[in-house]
Order: sequence, then structure tokens, then C-alpha cells
Amino acid sequence: MRRPGIYFPQAPIPGRWRKSIGAIFTTTPPELTEEIRVNVPAIDFNLQRGISKNWFITGRILTQVVQSNVGVGVRYARPLTDRLFISAGDDMHVWFGVLQIKDVFNSQAYGLQNFPNVSVGYRFTRDVQMTLKCEAILDAYYKSQVGTLAIERNAIRYNGLAVSVVIEQPLYGKKHVSLGLRAAYSNFNWQLWSLYDTFDRNLFYPQLIFGFIL
Amino acid sequence: MNTRYLVLAGLLVTLLMGCRKDYEAPVPYTFSNMTGSGKFPTAIRQAINGVYTVTDGSDKFGAQVVLRWTYTHNGADTSHHLSVFTSNVGYFDMEPQPQTGGLAVGGYWRRLQDTEIGLVQLTVNVRRSGVVSPFTGRLATGDTLVVSGVYGDGDVTPTKRLTMTYARPLNPRPFSILAHRSGGRTSDLLPASENSVEIIKMASRLGATGIEIDVRYTKDGVPILYHDNTLNLRLIQKNGLAGPIEAYTYQQLNTLVRLVNGERIPTLEEALQTVVDETDLSFVWLDTKYIGSMQKVQTIQQTYLQRAKAAGRSLQIVIGLPSDDAVSLYRALPEKANTPVLCELDTSITRSINANIWAPRWTLGDQRAEVNAMKAEGRTVFVWTLDEPQFIREFIDQTRFDGILSNYACVVAYYHYSQQ
Repeated sequence: MRRPGIYFPQAPIPGRWRKSIGAIFTTTPPELTEEIRVNVPAIDFNLQRGISKNWFITGRILTQVVQSNVGVGVRYARPLTDRLFISAGDDMHVWFGVLQIKDVFNSQAYGLQNFPNVSVGYRFTRDVQMTLKCEAILDAYYKSQVGTLAIERNAIRYNGLAVSVVIEQPLYGKKHVSLGLRAAYSNFNWQLWSLYDTFDRNLFYPQLIFGFIL
Repeated sequence: MNTRYLVLAGLLVTLLMGCRKDYEAPVPYTFSNMTGSGKFPTAIRQAINGVYTVTDGSDKFGAQVVLRWTYTHNGADTSHHLSVFTSNVGYFDMEPQPQTGGLAVGGYWRRLQDTEIGLVQLTVNVRRSGVVSPFTGRLATGDTLVVSGVYGDGDVTPTKRLTMTYARPLNPRPFSILAHRSGGRTSDLLPASENSVEIIKMASRLGATGIEIDVRYTKDGVPILYHDNTLNLRLIQKNGLAGPIEAYTYQQLNTLVRLVNGERIPTLEEALQTVVDETDLSFVWLDTKYIGSMQKVQTIQQTYLQRAKAAGRSLQIVIGLPSDDAVSLYRALPEKANTPVLCELDTSITRSINANIWAPRWTLGDQRAEVNAMKAEGRTVFVWTLDEPQFIREFIDQTRFDGILSNYACVVAYYHYSQQ
């Protein structure tokens, strides 16, 4: 039996689409923004399509207009029991940002990140399901430019990890929502590229996830 | 939903969110604060200053480093330190060790971007016809200085070999290496807090030739050094006080508040007195973080410019104007003679107030045309606050700026002094 969900590790019916739209709010770490605490919202659009009983492809767009992130991935999911499900997959994301602000920024940057991931999902009742998702974050490429000066890093390096807990359940009627928290511990966060973080330490980026499953 | 599921979810969330790691980098070396140069007179110190190639230890510190002596005064006494600047955002802080045979220095090394730190002990030798012997102060043609010894990680006795061989002299081109927040950020886990007298004394050991300091007024109008708008645990030790720093008198701050490494919040006068009397710094940038008259700061600026001149010091003290409000405060000064200013706004405002220095953000890029125009008009041009090491190298190699303000003065020093 399938229930509406984006994070729950169960493949859509082959040939069927799954979609959600919502927002992710990222709290900036004090190491970067110091006494100012900023909650950075991003529009979050997810798209998934079943390609076989257990395999499905994923697509995701996160955008804040001046900077965006587009990802595609593939996932294998299977039930262990009628309540417990697991999946494993890999997502590749490209992010890019451009800032042109008089007397402040003439900057742009883009990069590639890879997210190998595993998820465990548990269906508590017919309608409520919880997912624990663990992701490694790998940086594959980074290029940044200010004016005509540019720097580039193309070595693949481990950037950090992220753990998400997401509940998916009906909101009203037959509409379902995803509601969760993602705790990322990473060296670099694409949403804050314009801060040019130079710490070689993993910082904590808590994120609030909210999405309407369409 | 069943309550127990909510409790379970809550516990998971608490677990995820409660794991913020605290980073520390305690210095494993206690300096003797020995005065005098010991076995390192001026000629020997000058001979040691240079760019060195690294053989043993290059995996840790890179293939090339910069060695440079600095000093601080304490009354009539002078303390000398040997710094090493590396390409991977590292520095060494070492003092002469007269108790050891030969020309020996000891101290610690640190990588600023993370928490790596360790002890280091080195001796200065000379290689002549392939034979290495202790350096006695005389270099003959064909002699090469070799600074070698051991380093370690943390506070364990150092055992790993480090060998640095003199390659060439330091780049002599004048260039201002300006350290942000009086020397560096508290968040980089330096041994002294940002905007403290202690970090001012350290600034040149971190590579700086000048500093930028953040000036605010206390409730009773005393100019002090502090960056943030509020008292907060990022900068000060826990004491129950909070809110705008301008809500407290100097006496209250002096009595009740300690910076994260235990220092007092200094007054602007204490900071400038330290610069003039105890350091070899040649530039101070007074960043305007206050709202209110600029006159007190101007008076202090002029007093310490005179004191520096009287002491035979070549020291510039400039008032930084980062905003339209600050420019208005400057325009409102009844007398602007002998008041050097630095303008962070665009070139037209810089010209309109005839600022001596133009300092745009580094995120605007090389700005070749504007930089050339400002320099042609006789102005100095700096860029701020640039910490990204690769971009520091690009700005030094590819642009005509006269200086860089950075939290990583050691990186600016490395790329500037090693430039060929």
C-alpha cells in the first residue's frame, strides 16, 4: 500500500509522478553571522517518478531567486515489513548564485555536490509515517568569481553529513504534508556561499522542512 | 497522532539539535617573555628573515613558508619573536631559547581555520659545501641557512622533523597587511580575544603591519573597542549582562565584563597607547561603529598621531567611514585638518570628502579602473575583509591594491612576502 510521501522510502508506482512544494528554513550558524541570527527561507520543489517496483528517480529544486540548487538522483527502496521500509540512493546537485549589489557585491559562484543517502521509514498508522534520512555531503566542484578574479576547486572532498527526521501525514481531508527537521553538520553550505566561510570545521545548520504533497 | 510518537519525534529532534560542537585550540606553550634578543642580534635576525622551502614537514606546512622576526616593547625592554607564515592559513609564534645551545627558538604552530596546534623547537644552521653546522652569524658566498628541528601535535613533546631552507629574501614591495579586529577574530580561537590590548600586542606576530579596530562609545561617552551591537557570549564571558554596550558605563564594563579570554574591554586610548608604545605596527584603522559625535575620536586620533611622531614612529591612524551616517559625522566635524580618513563607500563620496584612503569591499572584485583612478589621484587603496586564501593570492598577484584587511594576516603575509 502506498501513501502520499516524498521522504518516506517507498517507490512510486512505476510510471507515476510524486510532487511536493514547500519551503525550507535554514538557521545560520553563529560562527558565520555572529550576533545576527538569520533564518534563510528557500522554496523547495520535489518531483519523483517510479521506474520499477523498487527503483525511482528524484528531482529537486531549491531556490531563493538570487541563488538556486537543482538536483537529480536515483533511489532503491523496499519494504522490510508491512510497516518498516528502507531506501538507498544518490543525488547530484548543482548550485549557483549571482549577487550584483552596488558597492557590496559583484560576485557569482557555482558548484557541484553529491549526496549518497539512506532512509528508514516507519508507518505508524495508515496515515502517519516517519522517515529518518542520513546523507553524506561530498563537494565535487566549486568556482567563485569576484569582478574578473576567479578561483576554482575541483577535488572531491567530504564536506559533512546531514540527518533528517520527517513526518508525513494528512493535514486536512486528503491533503498530506511533509514536516521535518534536518540537522546538517558541514564545512560548506551552498546557501551561504556569499559569506565566503573560511572555517575548516563542520558547522551546524539546522533546517525546518515543510512541504505540501501535491 | 499518538502522543508517544510525538514524544519519540521530539526526542529525535532534541538529539539532532543538541549536538553543536564547541571548538578549542589551547596554546601548549608558555612564553618566557624574555627581553632582549639573546643570541639573535639584528644582523642575525635580518639574515633569517626570508622565504624558505620546506622539505621535512611540507605535508603539514606546505612546500614554502615565510620567516620573519617581529618585536614588542615593554618600557625600555624589547621582546623578539620569530614568526613563520604558511600558505595553509598557519603561523608559528616562537621566541629565542638562550638556555639551548646554538641559535634556538621554541614556541607553537597553529592552523587558524581549524583547531590544529602544536609545539615546535628549531635551531638555525648553515649549510656550507653540503655540511650543516650551527649558524654563528656570518654567511659566506654559497652558504645557505637551514632552520630545522621538530614539531608535534597538541601538547605532546615534538618529534616530527621540520626542515626549512632559505630560498630568497622577503618581497620588499611596500604593502599593508591589516589585521581585522585588532589582530583577528575570536571565532578563530586565537590565544587573545578580538579587540583586546593582548591581541594588539600579538598582531605583528600574526603577520600584520597594521590593525583595524572597532570603536564604540559607552553610556558615559568613553570610546572603547568592541565589535558587536550587544554584550553576548560570542565575545564575553558569562556574567548575566546583556543588551547594547552603549547602555553601560565604562566603569560597569571595566568592572563586570571580561572578554572570552579574560581580558578587559580596552578604551580607545589604551589601545592606541599600546600601539605607539609597545608595537611596531604602522597603521591603525578606527572603524566607526558608533552613533554620535566623532569629535572625541578625532581628538584621540590627533593626540596619538602626535605621540607617535614624538616617539619617532611612522604611524598612520585613520578614521574609517563605513556608512553614509559615518560620513555625515565626519562632515559635521568643525575642524578637519590633521584628520586622515578612510572611506569605504564609492569613489565619488571618497573624492567629495577628499579621503586619503579608499577601501571598497573585496566582493566587488579587482575594480581595475577605479583603483587606477584613485591611485592616480594620490590616494591609497585597500580592500576588506578578505579571508579566502586563494582570493588573497589573486588580489596580491593580479591587482594594484596597496593593502588587504583580513582576519588571516598570516595568509596575506605569506602571499605578499613570498611574491616574486
